[in-house]
Amino acid sequence: MSNQRYRFAAMAAVAIRILVALGVVGLIVWSFRGIPFDLSRLHEGLIGAKEFVLGMVPRTAAEWAKDVHYASTLKTALNQTIQMAVVGTTLGAVVAFPLSFLAARTTSLFRPLSVAVKTFLNIGRAIPIMLYALFIVTVIGLGAPAGALAIGIGSFVMLAKLYAEALESVSPGPVEAVRAVGGSPVQIFVFAMLPQVFPNYLSATLYALELNLQASFVLAIVGAGGIGGELWDNIRIFRYLEVGVIVSALIVIVNAVDYASYRVRQIFS
Amino acid sequence: MPDDPILRVQNVHHSYRKGVPVLQGIDLTLQRGEIVALIGRSGAGKSTLLRIVNGLITPTSGDVGVFGIDIAKLPESQRRLVRRRIGMVFQEFNLVDRLTAVKNVLVGRLGYTDTLRSCLHLFSAADIALATECLARVGLAGFEHTRVRDLSGGQKQRVAIARTLAQGSEIILGDEATANLDEHTTTEVLSILSDLARERGITLLLSMHDLTTAREFCQRIVAMKGGKIVFNGAPDQLSDEIVREVLA
Repeated sequence: MSNQRYRFAAMAAVAIRILVALGVVGLIVWSFRGIPFDLSRLHEGLIGAKEFVLGMVPRTAAEWAKDVHYASTLKTALNQTIQMAVVGTTLGAVVAFPLSFLAARTTSLFRPLSVAVKTFLNIGRAIPIMLYALFIVTVIGLGAPAGALAIGIGSFVMLAKLYAEALESVSPGPVEAVRAVGGSPVQIFVFAMLPQVFPNYLSATLYALELNLQASFVLAIVGAGGIGGELWDNIRIFRYLEVGVIVSALIVIVNAVDYASYRVRQIFS
Repeated sequence: MPDDPILRVQNVHHSYRKGVPVLQGIDLTLQRGEIVALIGRSGAGKSTLLRIVNGLITPTSGDVGVFGIDIAKLPESQRRLVRRRIGMVFQEFNLVDRLTAVKNVLVGRLGYTDTLRSCLHLFSAADIALATECLARVGLAGFEHTRVRDLSGGQKQRVAIARTLAQGSEIILGDEATANLDEHTTTEVLSILSDLARERGITLLLSMHDLTTAREFCQRIVAMKGGKIVFNGAPDQLSDEIVREVLA
C-alpha cells in the first residue's frame, strides 16, 4: 500500500514542478508582451543618445579645466551623500537588530508574534522609499536629514528581515551545546548565535549601505540634497558636461564602497 | 554517602507528540566513575534519554535524580547550575567554528561567569589558564589560538572534551560522539575519555551504535529498543541473540 502511495506522491511532486515551471514561463511571456519594444525608432533614438553620452565627455582643454573646477565644488554635496547613506544605514541597523529577534521564528517569544512582525515588515518593504521621503519631508522639511531618515526606514525594514533570516538559519547544535554547559539565554546568543550570524549581519548591513548610496541619489528628486541634487539640477538644464563629472564621481564612490565592504567582510568572515 | 548513585532514572516516559511515545518506562542507575555504553538503533530513544539526564528535555513523567537532585522538577534557572557539572559531547561536535579552540573551551566556564563579563569575552586569568590546561590534557597544546574550523574531526571532538573538562564535569554524556570519526580517531577519543574516567572519577554515559567499540571501552552496556531498555549488564553477558534483536 505504501509503495503505491509513495509512487503517487512522487508523481504529484513532478506535476507540481511542471506547473510551477509553466507558470514562470507564462509570467515571462506575459511580461514581454506587455512591454513592446519599438525598434523602428532605434536609429533616430541612437543619435540622441550619442549626443547625450558624448556631451558628457570633455574634448578641449577648456572643457577639461571646467570639469576639474566643477569637480572641486562637488565636495560638500558628495560628503553629504555619503553621510546621508551612513546615517540612514546606521539608524536602520540599530532599530532592525532588536526587532529581528521578534521576527525570527526561532527566537521570537511566540510564533504568532513572529508572523505579526514579519507581516509588518513586508508591508514596510512594499512601500517605496520615495514615499517615506515625501512623508518625512512634509513633517521635517526638505534637506539631508529627511533623506537620511527615509533611508533609515528603508534600511530598517530590509535589514530586520535579513537579520531574522540569518537568525533562523543558525545551526542548532552550538546553541544546544551552550545550553548544555549551563549558559544563560544571553550567553547562548553571544557564544552560539552571534558568531554564526555575525558574517551575515555584516554583509547584509554593508549591502544595505551600497543600496542606500544609490537611494540617496534618487531621493534628491524630493529635495533630500547631496550629489543627487546636483545631478538632477544639471540634467534639467542639459549641462551634460557636469552630468559626466557627477556620473564619474558616482562610479568611483559606488566601487570604492563595494571594494571596502568586500575587504571588511573578508577580515570578519 | 559514597554509594549513592550519581544518576538515578526511574520510570521515565516521554513523548514529543501525544500518542507517539519515545521513552516508555526507563529505569537506569549509574555509579560514580562507571563507563556505560548506550546502544540501539537510531530512533530507539538514546538521544532523548541523554537530554533528559541534563535537563535539556523535561520528561512527560518519571524521576531523574542527578547528584541526588531531581533535575526534571527544577526551573530552568536552577537546572543551569546542575548542568554545569554535566558535560556533553555531540556527534556534530557543536563547537563554534569561527572561534578559536581556547574560546570554545572557555564556553565550558560560562556557567561560572557572570553574563556581562562573558558577553564581553572577559574571562578570568584562572579560567584561561584552566582552559589551556584542559586543551593540553586532550593533546592539543599549541592549538589554543587555532580556529576550530581549521581543525580535523578528531581534534574538534578533543576540543569538545576539553570543554567538558573546563566545566568541571562529573558526568560526561556522549551523543554518538564518535560516529563522525574514523576507526583510529574513535579509539583515540574514547581512550582519552576512559582515561579521564579512571583519573578523575568522571562517569561516562555514551550512546553509540558500534558494538565492538562499546565492548572494548565500556564496563556496562545498556541496550535500548523502541523506547525501552532491553538489556543492562556487562559486555560479556550480551548474547548474540540480544544484539540481533537490538540492532536488527
